[in-house]
Amino acid sequence: MADTILILAGGLIFFAIVFAVIRLIIGRTVVDRVAAVDLLTVISISMIALYAHVGGRFIYLDVALVYGVLSFLAVVATARYLERGL
Amino acid sequence: MLELLVILMCGAIAVSAFLAIRLKGVLAAAVSGGLATLFAAVCYVLLGAPDVAMTEASIGSGLSTLIILYAIRRTTGLRE
Repeated sequence: MADTILILAGGLIFFAIVFAVIRLIIGRTVVDRVAAVDLLTVISISMIALYAHVGGRFIYLDVALVYGVLSFLAVVATARYLERGL
Repeated sequence: MLELLVILMCGAIAVSAFLAIRLKGVLAAAVSGGLATLFAAVCYVLLGAPDVAMTEASIGSGLSTLIILYAIRRTTGLRE
């Protein structure tokens, strides 16, 4: 049962990355691409957490935590740029 | 499963780098370049180097994109 859930989570992360990259490629405006980048950071955090469980290395959860704290910085910087604030 | 994830990350790095080269808008290219370093950080985690991944995620994805956007703002004015 647990293996089924982990495989399902891996498949969901796979297709989420594929669709977000497609959104990044065909994004009409810059805002679409920034939203795709933000989505991909969240998917990456979930992927690191999944690998921390699968690999049995729980130090990776700290990496996911630091990643979540720091990864919004690029999106905030881009938003400040679009609002003529940077 | 690890090999599949690493291959997926490497493909995403290649797509992001290609977009950073080929996109017309400067801002979109800067965002795509930041995304390539972000995927590289995930790839470092999967290959077993979490400390390198922390540094890459903080400097490469955050600070580098910030500096590039600041440089774009200072050099091209209000044009995108």
